[in-house]
Amino acid sequence: MSAAEPVVALRSVSKRFRDKPAVDSLDLIVGRGDRVALLGPNGAGKTTTLLMLLGAITPDSGTIELVGYRLPHHRTKALSHVGFVAGYLPLPENLKVREALNIFAGFYGLRKPKPVIDAAIDRFGIAHLADQQSRELSSGQRTLVSIVKSTLHQPKLLILDEPTASLDPDVARRVRTALLDIHHEFGTTLLVTSHNMREVETLCERVVIIAHGTVAADGTPNEIATTFNTDDLEDAFLEIAAQSRARGGADDSEGARP
Amino acid sequence: MSLVRIRAVMLRHWIVLRRAPHRWFEISFWPVMDVLLWGSVGAYVKQQTPGSQAGTVYLLAGIVMFWTFTQAQFSIALGVNEETWTRNILNVMTTPVKEVEYIVGIALFGLLKLALCLLTLTASTIVFFGFDLSDVGWSVIPIVALLLINGWALALMVVGLVLRFGQSAEILIWGFNYVIMAFSGVMVPSSSLPSGLRIVAQQLPTTRAFAALRAVLDGKPLPWGMLGLSLIGSLVFLAGAIAFSSWLLAVFRKRGFVTRYS
Repeated sequence: MSAAEPVVALRSVSKRFRDKPAVDSLDLIVGRGDRVALLGPNGAGKTTTLLMLLGAITPDSGTIELVGYRLPHHRTKALSHVGFVAGYLPLPENLKVREALNIFAGFYGLRKPKPVIDAAIDRFGIAHLADQQSRELSSGQRTLVSIVKSTLHQPKLLILDEPTASLDPDVARRVRTALLDIHHEFGTTLLVTSHNMREVETLCERVVIIAHGTVAADGTPNEIATTFNTDDLEDAFLEIAAQSRARGGADDSEGARP
Repeated sequence: MSLVRIRAVMLRHWIVLRRAPHRWFEISFWPVMDVLLWGSVGAYVKQQTPGSQAGTVYLLAGIVMFWTFTQAQFSIALGVNEETWTRNILNVMTTPVKEVEYIVGIALFGLLKLALCLLTLTASTIVFFGFDLSDVGWSVIPIVALLLINGWALALMVVGLVLRFGQSAEILIWGFNYVIMAFSGVMVPSSSLPSGLRIVAQQLPTTRAFAALRAVLDGKPLPWGMLGLSLIGSLVFLAGAIAFSSWLLAVFRKRGFVTRYS
């Protein structure tokens, strides 16, 4: 993959669940090393978009290229360069943290994972968690371990679905710092969904807001605020959400879900 | 296929087994209970009708081979379900692990569980009833191979159904096993079944495998013709199960059912 090639390229991607559109002719290009937030009201199609990107859901139409590989045929090659963290996903039970990291290192094809795991544990300051059972971790600790798990193979792209949801501000800041460190050190592209606008402004240089499964706004946080004639990104988001509701669109109850 | 990823799948399930005492029940407790139950039934039949072939030997050999089939089935079906029970399936699906690597990993790990189970079964049949299946010798190997193929095939079918229909289909992991047990003439010839059901039994490749086992127990040479037919049936079943589970996996991805587990 050359530096100019996009890390993420969705072209005219659509997905319907039970005849309701979840994603509608979505185009999204993310360049190498970018930090992009994918925002939208609940049910706007963010998670469906991410899961299609990861090959876990098949789109109805359109094409998806991930780190230069076309899905679904080259899913394995593509996912060798991608990490995924979701705030809502548990780590496997019955495993200690070091064991879980060891297994996921194997899933990522690392032949000698021990030094990689040791270095990652040091980097994220989680040595005190290494011998704990995964199920005993707090939400914040689990998210940190998930980030460690998803970056063992130094991915080119890290996809994060609400990584700091339900975390206290201190832990959330540690998570953001860790993500920025990874980005600066390895040039990792970040694609993040979040409902925390302050976090988005800290973490991401570009924001894509989707509503009704299609792009409603795309630019820097300031550009988007200017476009919607609002003071900040949060107000712009609220404006888009209000427009979406007026169109009879997505919110908690109405988004198209499997 | 990547050996590193397959090894990681095996390691994951080895740790789960080590940490979960209840998982040892399917390797040791239930098989030993079956030996006691069916062995005592066999001993009683033999007491009542001396010289009867349908005594302890048929029943114990049948139960040992049935657990061979069951372990092969459980290794894949329960292995995949482990990921749904622990909501880990999305974690796995978003790594480079291929479906075939995952299945090979849990099937290989299942062979280790099978070895432990067979050791337990053999020890208990010797201790409780003085019956040692290994006396039959190498003849048992092709029969074991056929039952492994059928166990894996059934597991793939069940996994496909669980992916498609969710938790409500999990009961089939145990339910289908008993269908096979009832129709395959595991301990006695399938001719003992009610006449209408014999036709079903004749279609199952497992029926011929168990019939071949009884032939060997009777001191006859391996019935290669019967085993050949069973092999053809087993391979057809396996190919069908692969196609069926692949189709349902595609449906799983198409309909976004992965969100059930996230």
